[in-house]
Amino acid sequence: MIVSMTRVRLAGPAAQLERVLAFVQDLGVLHLVRPQVPASEKLQQSKPERHCRRMLSDVEVALRQLGIERRSRTVVAKPESVIAAARLARRLRRASGKVMKARAALDDERVMLLRYREFFSAFESLIGHELTWPDGKAFYVVLRAGSATALGELRKALTKAVGEELELLDRPLASGELAVLILVSNDAAPKVAKLLSDSRVQELPAPAGLGETNLLRAMPALKARLAAIPRAIEELETERRRLAEGNAATLNRLRWWLRDELLVLEARNQVHAGRHLFVLEGWLPDTKRADLVEQVASLGPEIVIEFLGSEAWKANAPVALTNPALFRPFEIVTRLMPLPRYGTIDPTPFLAIFFPAFFGLMLGDVGYGLLLVGIAVLLRFKSRPGTTLRSVSVIAGACSIFSVLFGVLFGELFGNLGHGVGMKPLWFNREEAIVPFLALSVAIGVVHISLGLVLAAITAWRRGHTREAAGRGVAVLMVLLTVAALLAAFKLLPSGLMTPFVIALLVAFPVLIALEGIVAVIELLSTFGHILSYARIMALGTASLMLAVVANQMVGTFGSVVVGVVFALLFHVVNFAIGLFSPTIHALRLHSVEFLGKFFSPGGAEYRPLSHWQPQH
Amino acid sequence: MDTSLLAIGAALAVGIPAAATAWAQGRIGPAAAASLAEKPELSTTAIILIAIPETMVILGFVVAVMILLRSGAAG
Repeated sequence: MIVSMTRVRLAGPAAQLERVLAFVQDLGVLHLVRPQVPASEKLQQSKPERHCRRMLSDVEVALRQLGIERRSRTVVAKPESVIAAARLARRLRRASGKVMKARAALDDERVMLLRYREFFSAFESLIGHELTWPDGKAFYVVLRAGSATALGELRKALTKAVGEELELLDRPLASGELAVLILVSNDAAPKVAKLLSDSRVQELPAPAGLGETNLLRAMPALKARLAAIPRAIEELETERRRLAEGNAATLNRLRWWLRDELLVLEARNQVHAGRHLFVLEGWLPDTKRADLVEQVASLGPEIVIEFLGSEAWKANAPVALTNPALFRPFEIVTRLMPLPRYGTIDPTPFLAIFFPAFFGLMLGDVGYGLLLVGIAVLLRFKSRPGTTLRSVSVIAGACSIFSVLFGVLFGELFGNLGHGVGMKPLWFNREEAIVPFLALSVAIGVVHISLGLVLAAITAWRRGHTREAAGRGVAVLMVLLTVAALLAAFKLLPSGLMTPFVIALLVAFPVLIALEGIVAVIELLSTFGHILSYARIMALGTASLMLAVVANQMVGTFGSVVVGVVFALLFHVVNFAIGLFSPTIHALRLHSVEFLGKFFSPGGAEYRPLSHWQPQH
Repeated sequence: MDTSLLAIGAALAVGIPAAATAWAQGRIGPAAAASLAEKPELSTTAIILIAIPETMVILGFVVAVMILLRSGAAG
């Protein structure tokens, strides 16, 4: 149901505006809109708003960088000095940023050094050899994995280039690569460097920043650095913890105050404020009217309240949905679509009834239904009240109940497995009664679409569109007459009734065209198309059952019962996953395209009263 | 009528709409994905748009079942 709204105007001395806005925020029921009076000034993002946003950004970044948990609402009070608070936020953002940056640099350095460590170890075992060439030069090379022949070729090429003035030592690495140390005399070094460069064999460079290019001489420094990094990280962590512990409460309080303050500053843009007077307008639920009058009286005689009764304005009223507790979780399905316009019909109650019923008709299996019950219970325990996940758990619960119910009616337990334990269909067997199931699906389509047309007629009537309302009414009549004529033709009704039904149809047809024009013919045809579209209930239901039957047949087709059972279970899991996804999509589609298409009028603005800030779930 | 011809008819009744559905969904899918990249709030509309062409194969399936029932090969 869409909550009935009242437009209200508050006026008073401009000096009282801040007080009134704080009062409205505390009250939390007034959805502010710009007053319909000429604005004396063009209000843009004000300087305080810009400052607030900058400060909030500093606070949020500092909270994130310091790893401080966002606390739930506490007492929110304006800081003694906003300037000092802004400076603190900026200082903490910079300090935490510095710590984060230093920590990231140390982590990077550590990762890089660890990558080199294995290479270092391999070359370290060759260190004594380097000393046998005190006047020579060492080249450190790593050959790729699987290049065993490359070593021979390298040795051959080097010998050819510099003769016997070289020593070549190698060690395999755990990665499969080959660490190679080439020791040559200083005279031969340029030739070796050129040869390595020409053959694209890359030398392993010593990590930068250690002031040593010779890898072997750099090793002690590298080891010392690796040992020092964890200490440096620990020091940074201590600094971060110190900053976090010392400022967590302040930053959280500041965050809540800034969020609240920003809402008030944004609301100020909706207020007409002159030099002497302010005018503030908004919408509130009818039920809150008396409360507001009483509360405003407490502000003093200078603040005037006036209720604006013009019905024409109501077209722009914001939309708030209110439904019984049983239907409320289904509002998340309604909210998947744009909100209905004010004064039209909230489809939530219809969704709450038909959505799980359609889902249950399509899945219709006790076994799968019970699995879904398990999922719904799990979701309920994992969710908090009022969250989207809690609503999903309730919807899953409703869908599972309908699945079990229809499963009992169709006698299905994981397909035809129930037949083996004496389970019998109480209504009909979907495996055999394909045509009755199709007829049932189309009949549901007739009921659902007719209901949609009736709701369309009511909506049109409420909005004063009498002709359109009459047109929708005649369309419903024609749908029902067509169905009745078909039933008479198939002798499900006395065949003598067919002629009167057809005559009634022939009379209704020109009336419909007279009321809605030639386009009504196309709409009527599309309505019949929409009714046939409900055949998908039968199609998906039958497909789901057949897949379950195929899964059960797997047990006896693999020779080994164990293999068969494993494959059957896997197939059931896949079928269950399809059985959750496909009926959801198609039940949603039957509502949004076929049913809501008949009466739903989207485009409503959400009711967002000025209140204290709350994080979104 | 020859049962094999009826079976071929049923296969075509479901096969051709299935191919048509696949073609349509193949075109809608990338367009929906591109839209979602810019407007994630359109996810429901995107899912419904992708589900719309499935009507063809569902009705094809119904027709195929009808053909098979007439031939006595099912039910």
